[in-house]
Amino acid sequence: MPDRDVSLLRPYLLTSGRTEPIDRNLEIETQVLTSELGAASYAGLSFERRDIVALCTKTMSVAEVAAILGLHIGVARVLVADLAALGYVVVHRPIAGLAGDPAMIERIIRRLEAIS
Amino acid sequence: MKPSVESRTPTPVKIIIAGGFGVGKTTAVSSISEITPLRTEAAITTASEDVDRTGHVPEKTTTTVALDFGCITIDDDIKLYLFGTPGQDRFGFMWRDLARGALGALVIVDTRRIDECYPAVDYFEKAGLPFVVAVNLFEGRLSHAVADIRWALAIGDHVPLITFDARAKLSVRDALLTVLRTTLERATSQ
Ligand SMILES: Nc1nc2c(ncn2[C@@H]2O[C@H](COP(=O)(O)OP(=O)(O)OP(=O)(O)O)[C@@H](O)[C@H]2O)c(=O)[nH]1
Ligand SMILES: [Mg+2]
Repeated sequence: MPDRDVSLLRPYLLTSGRTEPIDRNLEIETQVLTSELGAASYAGLSFERRDIVALCTKTMSVAEVAAILGLHIGVARVLVADLAALGYVVVHRPIAGLAGDPAMIERIIRRLEAIS
Repeated sequence: MKPSVESRTPTPVKIIIAGGFGVGKTTAVSSISEITPLRTEAAITTASEDVDRTGHVPEKTTTTVALDFGCITIDDDIKLYLFGTPGQDRFGFMWRDLARGALGALVIVDTRRIDECYPAVDYFEKAGLPFVVAVNLFEGRLSHAVADIRWALAIGDHVPLITFDARAKLSVRDALLTVLRTTLERATSQ
């Protein structure tokens, strides 16, 4: 299926089967992990989408996906959001308001202090 | 081939490393990142600054900005990302996007070109993101007094101003700790 250009330029065309609304504006540190469905559907996917599903069997960020596959960050973000809408990957987004959570910040500080 | 799937997904957190061109952003990220810093590109649309010779109204142009990043595993549940980004006024759009949800920012300054960090300082000040100004000691010593730098940058006393060495892991770690303590102070005073 020659959908390469479509997937790069107008990915929203590919999301008619979406099951849940996904913010296309994923934070670039969002963690991406291939789902069982994605792994099972791997052979039927094309181009970048297949690459992403193959890559994210190990959890990584949207930024890493972009860097490793040589995609512009905006393109990687949209492709991942769409794969997530289709259930092929699971995304784990940053927790909103975490910068205002003293216990969490203290925990990060303690761990960072231990780095030598 | 059917890829097999693992199961852990840590919560990502991030700190922005900003500053002018060539101030040591990539060096700082490399010094402490547990992966070789990766590079990705973001397309940004900007209005070109000059009216051309024929007097045409400036057109919007798309520029590509490199973004490099590294990460530090904090523990099984938290992964800290460091995103290094060049700071210029016209990249404001990208910054908004990048800074959303950040714990804080480290603005790196080269005292030979102090003014290059103005846009970053300005941006984080306005965005209300906790930030620290870190002077990269290229020559191993300060060419200006710290008070002069603070004055030149017009930053208030609430903004920590430190010196560091972007090439030294522990120095970068301490700079990041200063950012996090600023974030913590903000969090506990709210
Ligand atoms: N002597 C010395 N050189 C440094 C130091 N930090 C960075 N450099 C050098 O300065 C140059 C620029 O550093 P980078 O880390 O690439 O700076 P950058 O901010 O990422 O630059 P751009 O991404 O181009 O904006 C490199 O050649 C570094 O090796 C330092 O603390 N001391
Ligand atoms: Mg750089």
